Amino acid sequence: MKSRAAVLLVAVGFLLPGRPLVAHHSFAAEFDASQPIKLTGAVTKFEWTNPHAWIYIDAKDEKTGEVANWGFELAAASGLMRSGWTRLTLKAGDVVTIEGTRAKNGTHNANAQTVTLASSGKKLFAGANTPTP
Amino acid sequence: MKRPFTVLVSAVIVAALSTALSAQWPLSPKPGVPKGPDGKPNLTAPTPRTSDGKPDLSGIWMRSDRKPGSEAPGQPPLATFGDIGANFKGGLPYRPLALDLVKKRAGGLDNPDALCLPQGPLEYHLDPQPREILQLPRKIVIVFESNYGLRTIYMDGRPLPKQGEPQPYWHGYSVGHWEGDTLVVQSNNFRGALTGQPGDGWLDGKGDPFTDALTLTERFRRVNFGQLQIDVTIDDPKAYTRPFTVRVEQEIVADGSEMIEFICHENQKFLKLTGREP
Repeated sequence: MKSRAAVLLVAVGFLLPGRPLVAHHSFAAEFDASQPIKLTGAVTKFEWTNPHAWIYIDAKDEKTGEVANWGFELAAASGLMRSGWTRLTLKAGDVVTIEGTRAKNGTHNANAQTVTLASSGKKLFAGANTPTP
Repeated sequence: MKRPFTVLVSAVIVAALSTALSAQWPLSPKPGVPKGPDGKPNLTAPTPRTSDGKPDLSGIWMRSDRKPGSEAPGQPPLATFGDIGANFKGGLPYRPLALDLVKKRAGGLDNPDALCLPQGPLEYHLDPQPREILQLPRKIVIVFESNYGLRTIYMDGRPLPKQGEPQPYWHGYSVGHWEGDTLVVQSNNFRGALTGQPGDGWLDGKGDPFTDALTLTERFRRVNFGQLQIDVTIDDPKAYTRPFTVRVEQEIVADGSEMIEFICHENQKFLKLTGREP
């Protein structure tokens, strides 16, 4: 049986941004565009907050096998709402693949560009903190 | 960046978006929105007016996505959120002080937007989050969703104060009057970049500065039901060698969606991620 979150994701999966989501912060101050990252893991926490929402996942390093908790910055909750996300879009335990860009400071943080839900294969635009015109 | 959509895909997206949004924050269509034969808001309908016959600027407005380079002949260059001088021929007329500040601000560490502080007047007009104009008989209030900015424009005939007379404000001191169908707003007594406080005196994401010498003139014109033009003149003799004017375009939000709560310090990690807070 599909969970409530998964049903919502089906709807969200159709959505593409007609407008840029909120690029609240100075991308270049926080993230290194030359360090793309793609990680898969189970959601440990979903912070539905402003000025940015955050997804935390436990992801395994493919080389070392070591599991670490990674934080991914998304757009603001307000911007995500306008894009069709809700606070129920993700929940702890959901397995996701996130593509984004690593934090400059070398910590286990990154910004998220897309979030793909393993259960449905739906790719969600995370719209996070990209350089804006 | 706005992507090209086919009509069909757009329709699907709009339908899906409407469903998704209404599931969490109900749409509340406003009375008085003109409708076309298809029942949709008619954005090119005539400018609404208040009971005294003035254009009514009230409404929730999003910045337009029209890109610099598409200006009509004779129109001021379009400003962008990241760079108000994006299409300014020959670049902005910086004084050395301003150019030095722009260089120092590269990287955006002190951008007020990032710091959850009040943004500069143009940064607010161009922010991707909406703003609501509330036109009252003796004042006009603009509420900016981003960082909860609040500007008051006094319309009761009071004069613009002298520079340095009232306490400088992040948003300056604004008085307005009508010239025909154009609302002309003049503002001064801004805090400006020379306070040395991070976040003060930013016009855009690039860090083009303004100082406490700024007199800002904004000419608001609601072209029709759906469009607002704001021509903004920066007259700041400490930062620029001459006044210059750029244009902002905004579009009405007519689907009944509302401003969304935005508490910027709710989960602020910018200082931590940039190494300025443990």
